[in-house]
Formats: sequence, structure tokens, C-alpha cells
Amino acid sequence: MNPAQQDRYARHIRLPQIGEKGQQAILDSSALIVGVGGLGSPATMYLAAAGIGKLILSDYDVVDTSNLQRQIIHNNSSVGENKVDSGRQTVKALNPDCEVETIGYQLDGEELKQTIDSVDIVLDCTDNFPTRFEVNRYCVETATRLVTGAAIRLEGQIMNYQPGANSACYQCLYTHAYGAEESCELEGVLGPVVGVIGTLQAVQTLLILAGQGGALVNRLLLFDAFAMEWQSVTLPKNPNCPICSKT
Amino acid sequence: MNVSIEFYASLMKYLPPGKSRFRREIKVDNGLRLSRLIEQYHISPEEAHLVLVNGLFVCGEDRAERELVEGDVISIWPPVAGG
Repeated sequence: MNPAQQDRYARHIRLPQIGEKGQQAILDSSALIVGVGGLGSPATMYLAAAGIGKLILSDYDVVDTSNLQRQIIHNNSSVGENKVDSGRQTVKALNPDCEVETIGYQLDGEELKQTIDSVDIVLDCTDNFPTRFEVNRYCVETATRLVTGAAIRLEGQIMNYQPGANSACYQCLYTHAYGAEESCELEGVLGPVVGVIGTLQAVQTLLILAGQGGALVNRLLLFDAFAMEWQSVTLPKNPNCPICSKT
Repeated sequence: MNVSIEFYASLMKYLPPGKSRFRREIKVDNGLRLSRLIEQYHISPEEAHLVLVNGLFVCGEDRAERELVEGDVISIWPPVAGG
């Protein structure tokens, strides 16, 4: 770490749970962000600000004015742009040292698997079950760490998959596409609720990369913003899970 | 016997009238099964995604057999996939 980096990340380095070693690990790490929307906005920005070495941003959508109430990585002048291009501009303005690769089309199949296999950690910031299931499956198959967040209306949740830790995976929790017709477009979502969950995804990612992860393995954290209640749920690995039971 | 129900997020609409935003103390028949309690509040299996008894997850296939006991706290959360 050079003197400029030591200065920039001094507040992280001061933390015993991060230190110079943990910050160096963050600087040397790469993450795939699947979905640069409500969850992906704060997650991407905090990881960039924290000095993560490389971000791969994946999203096939373009910025719409109705996104701006919660997708804070984008702004008025980004409307009509690909979300990944708008996201890259914000990341580069925050931290020019962060390398950014963008994938502005539907990333799936073998290419998704190879991309997941190429990074240190994946953040599932998508808005639908089919993509969530595919991302989870490839993370299990490639033994890649996964931080999954979800939010709609005034509720959110977050969990991790950590290979080799007898960890429950996303499909231990969601066996099939429940309420598949639900979307933020139809149901609505309070902007900061996705911000809270996306920010927690960044918190978990940084601690995992710094070697301090595991707090959310086999645990699901649920947030109800209306009741202002958090609930922590023990989530054991499902011995019959079609995805992770063989690992 | 007395048990507590907690319906979160979009499931709050199924709560009977009361003060708390998400919790009610209710009286139920002795030995009531968990799935029957969920049915009594007209919560569909699709909506009752996460069902906890005293904070521990009870998977779908175990809910029909699970007998409630005095003092149990039953918490129910809907599925969430948005982002």
C-alpha cells in the first residue's frame, strides 16, 4: 500500500477487524455485482469507495426516471443510458483506482458461470427469482462466496453463502419462485429500504474479503421497515436442497 | 391456551385488530397444528414463506405435524425477491 492509499483508507486501517492486512485484501479483490439497481447502487458505491480492486457490473437495463427515487448510483443526466455505463461513471468519480468492467446485456449460462468463477465474491442485487437461482447455482458449483440481498415494499432480507462452511444456499431458503409476479414496479418500494439492504451487502462483502466474514452464514436477517423490526433466523443447510446438498 | 402471532411486512393485513403493528396475543385450542393456525388467518402457503416458532425456521413439510404449545411465538414473513 502506498502512502496515498494509507491516507485514503486510514479509517479502515484503524479498525482492528480490518487493519492494513484486511485493507490490502480489499484492494486486491474483485466482485461481480449482478444488478445495478436499488440494491446494487449502494453496494457498488461503498465497495468502490472502500477501494475494492475490481468491480464487474452486470445489468442489461437502461436508467429510467422512475429508478431515481432509489437507485442512487444514477442521476438525472443518466436517464436513457445503460445502467452499467452510468454506474461506471459514478464509480470512477468516487475512486479512479477501482477497475470497472461492464456487461450491459443479459449475463447467463456458461458466461455467467465463468464470470462468477473469475471473481472473489458475488453480490446478488437482482430483482427476480430465475436470475437469483442461476447465480446461486453457479456460486455453489464454482465454490464462490455469495452475498444475497432482496427488498420490496418496506421489507428486506440478506444472507450469505460461504463454500466449505456447511453453509445453507439460497435454494435452501427458496425452493421455487414464490410470488413470481411481484416486482417493485407493481408493489412499490421505499427508496432507503433497498439502500439499507444494499449497504448491508457491502458491509458483509468487505468483512468477508478482509477475512472477517461468516456472521451471516446459516443465518437470514429480515428487516421490516414499517414495524422497524429486525429478525435474525437460523437457516440450516437443507439436506435435500437440489443445489447444495451434494457439496 | 395462549400463543403469540407476529405477521410481518405485507402479512400485517391479516392481523386481527390490536395495538401492536405486528404482534397479537391470541387464544387457540390445545394442540393446534401450525398449518391450521396459518389457515385460520387465510394466509396462503405462497405468502407464508418463512414460518418461525420461537425464532426457529419450520420448513413447509413440517408445518402440518407441528403442534403448538402454550406460550409459543409464531412469526410469519412473506417471500422477497425484489431489488
